[in-house]
Amino acid sequence: MTEAVVNSKPFQWTAKFLAKFGLSGRGLVIAVPTLWLLVFFLIPFIVVLKISFAEAMIARPPYSKLIEPTDSGFAINFSFLSYQYLVEDGLYLAAYGSSLRIAFFSTLFALLIGYPMAYFIARSSGQWRNILLMLVIMPFWTSFLLRVYAWIGILKGNGYINNLLLSLGIINEPLVMMQTDFAVYVGIVYTYLPFMILPLYANLVKLDGSLLEASSDLGAKPIMTFLTITLPLSLPGILAGCMLVFIPVVGEFVIPALLGGPDTNMIGRVLWDEFFRNRDWPTASAVAIIMLLVLVLPIMLLQKAQDGQNQDKSGI
Amino acid sequence: MSAQTQLAADEKPWRRAGEKPFIRINRLTKKFGEFVAVDDVSLDVYQSELFCLLGGSGSGKSTLLRMLAGFETPTSGTIEIDGQDMANIPSHDRPTNMMFQSYALFPHMSVEQNIAYGLKRDGVASSEVSDRVADMLSLVQMSDFGKRKPDQLSGGQRQRVALARSLIKRPKLLLLDEPLGALDKKLREETQFELIKIQESLGITFIVVTHDQEEAMTLATRIGVMNYGEIVQVGEPPEIYEYPTSRFVADFIGSVNMFEGRVKEDDKDYVRIASDEAGTDIHVGHGVSCAPDQKLWFAIRPEKLELRRKRPDGDFNILKGMVEDVAYMGNLSVFRIKLDSGKIVKATQSNRVRRDDEAISWDEEVYLTWDETAGVVLQS
Amino acid sequence: MNNKFRFLPIATFLGFAFLYVPIIVLVVFSFNKSKLVTVWGGFSAHWYGELLQDPQILGAAWISLQIAFISASLALVLGTLAAFVLTRIGRFWFKPLLSGMTAAPLVMPEVITGLSLLLLFVAMEAMFGWPAGRGFTTIVIAHTTFCLAYVAVVVQSRLSDMDESIEEAARDLGAKPVRVFFDITLPTIAPALMSGWLLSFTLSLDDLVIASFVSGPGASTLPMVIFSKVRLGVSPEINALASLMIGVVALGVAIAAWQLLKSPQKSKA
Repeated sequence: MTEAVVNSKPFQWTAKFLAKFGLSGRGLVIAVPTLWLLVFFLIPFIVVLKISFAEAMIARPPYSKLIEPTDSGFAINFSFLSYQYLVEDGLYLAAYGSSLRIAFFSTLFALLIGYPMAYFIARSSGQWRNILLMLVIMPFWTSFLLRVYAWIGILKGNGYINNLLLSLGIINEPLVMMQTDFAVYVGIVYTYLPFMILPLYANLVKLDGSLLEASSDLGAKPIMTFLTITLPLSLPGILAGCMLVFIPVVGEFVIPALLGGPDTNMIGRVLWDEFFRNRDWPTASAVAIIMLLVLVLPIMLLQKAQDGQNQDKSGI
Repeated sequence: MSAQTQLAADEKPWRRAGEKPFIRINRLTKKFGEFVAVDDVSLDVYQSELFCLLGGSGSGKSTLLRMLAGFETPTSGTIEIDGQDMANIPSHDRPTNMMFQSYALFPHMSVEQNIAYGLKRDGVASSEVSDRVADMLSLVQMSDFGKRKPDQLSGGQRQRVALARSLIKRPKLLLLDEPLGALDKKLREETQFELIKIQESLGITFIVVTHDQEEAMTLATRIGVMNYGEIVQVGEPPEIYEYPTSRFVADFIGSVNMFEGRVKEDDKDYVRIASDEAGTDIHVGHGVSCAPDQKLWFAIRPEKLELRRKRPDGDFNILKGMVEDVAYMGNLSVFRIKLDSGKIVKATQSNRVRRDDEAISWDEEVYLTWDETAGVVLQS
Repeated sequence: MNNKFRFLPIATFLGFAFLYVPIIVLVVFSFNKSKLVTVWGGFSAHWYGELLQDPQILGAAWISLQIAFISASLALVLGTLAAFVLTRIGRFWFKPLLSGMTAAPLVMPEVITGLSLLLLFVAMEAMFGWPAGRGFTTIVIAHTTFCLAYVAVVVQSRLSDMDESIEEAARDLGAKPVRVFFDITLPTIAPALMSGWLLSFTLSLDDLVIASFVSGPGASTLPMVIFSKVRLGVSPEINALASLMIGVVALGVAIAAWQLLKSPQKSKA
């Protein structure tokens, strides 16, 4: 069948046509994905950067032009107004702070829950390991939005938990769980747990069992073996898992919007509101630029962790 | 055993002056960044040779092979096959085929499809393809396995399929990368002779890369020993073993005892070397081109040393020491003898009788001696 | 030692309970007769019937499926090309840039990706008059861009695990580069392509944030409709929808698992 494709007239014509423009197969193969990503990934950031220096106004589009033609040529209107807002209005700084705090603690919780699971899966045998792994991966394939939604029914005032506790007589008043930071933590840990488990598992499964036997043979108790052998060797996995949770959580919108209360102040939500409610595009852009800067370090850490993981792989 | 050894000496093309080489490698260099993988290599290989490139890992032998196949582009230098310059000829158009170390069988194709792949790419008619595939299968004794997938074959069977696939286009040159490396010892020995038989029956020129010196000795018409990207010596197997030209080759091929010394007497017919390491004068029964008092090395193989309890007559070529260890290897025993200078010397004796109560044993004082032509003098 | 052996299975069990109890509760209560979602009022498939008669949800689902299909297919082609370039083509000066651009969308917060693409589309429309307005096309472009990264990661890891000497062997036997790709590379990475496409399809089907930014009037995707409904509180209809989607995924995973279990036995025979 492939024979037919390669030898078919249209295929040959296309090749000849491209060759006319000096595009060899190799050049074309490189050019297509590069151009796509340039136009739809890199340039958009430049546009965001540009607009973050503009001023909001009621117009279409709702921001001032950076370079405007005037009588004597061009005028350049760089405005730092948006950034000034961010610094002066405590709301933005508080939102960055609370985003980082929520991201940090939910990453920690996810690690504490995910590590034993990853370890157990990595140490279980054959068929069991595959089944457990599949159970971890399956939530990836089910709608994220709907899984967050499921928690509303569980946590709300007349939800499943309150109904159960009330009917058992354990509580008399419904607990307030929805629209609190607690609900946001639950939602985030629940959603991002698989992102923590998978890199940890990938790391732990490579751990040579004979290292643990050697450690035990040399007189280390299991807890010492864990602290001195397993934990240090799994650091790249821990780092990768933590960054894979931390980075997207900082910018998370859906979970605070659905489970959080009015005082759950996360930066993703601020950006969303700035854009959709206030139609203040320059400020939304400035919020995005600062968020990117905040995330540069975690992204570099992730890169490092993944390089480490890959080196492990090639080292074997 | 092989036909090459039955040829009269003057029929070996590399011994005849003016013979035209089939493959001509001229000043070939390959750099990866700063690292020089192949360093200014020149080499001639003749029609129907089975040439072995022998070297350790990182010696550049595989890179040299991959340049012949067209997978790597030389940094400088030229390759000529049958008079044709290989520069700018991509691997899919070269008159060479390669047998990969990993065999590289296409996992999604049957044995027959694997073997037929090369012919189909040349547009050979399908009736001819199936005839030639059948011939190849019978040549490598795999006729019953044509419909199988590679993962349903044993290691030895896969090796045969890989060989058949690389031979079916009747390449002018077949390149084999560690062809027997993945087989266990017993199977490897059997396969060596089969490989020679096939090579002789088809008359195709083979270049084999290997790190296994025994394999090179058994297979090769000639061996090229590589080290740090250079070819340090080229010769027929006995020549490489008995007449190494450098300490590296002497040490790399087989086991050797090496003594550092200085030229004491230099005559037309003999050389006398004074060696503190040996604790004796070394007498070499032929002339060596060297300067007086020049530093050089004397290398002698363990099996060329004679082991005695009594001191032999004479005042040279006599080592005195203590047996430190005896390793019984079955067919022979290896003695480790510590000389007064502290140097350890290895000597082997074949075990001709089943039980020798008189055998030399641990902690005995012994003397070692050798024939004046038994060793070689090395200058580098 | 014993302590640890009890701790690990219990911790793992609780972890999985945490992951699955919400889903199970959701599915069970989708068969609830009562309109009060959280109070059991008897078994009924009533809400499934309602769901299948809701034109807004059905319309949005149809749009989402089309977008997901097109985006996943485009992302498959572009992502595979990117992965191929990064693993198989030697050095060229902007290779680090391409590698960075391929990996970055994976970790980029969705609000940023969404905002930046919208601003790009607005700027492009002002400059070239294309894309005229926002909707189906702009969502497809946005989804293709971030799904491309997922495809590239999956395919890249398969390509670098693959024994390159197999491709060299094909070249050595006379196959030109394009042939090598179609004869050898493609069949070998086919499973990765399949999972890359499926992953893209689900990601696109699931995306709310990016689609909200780059969509326009008239192009509401399923997650957008769900989100606007869910913001008003739990609804039994959404429970039914969620259960249907989970059912489809479970079926898919079951089939995949069955295929996986089946294939090694075949090769043993």
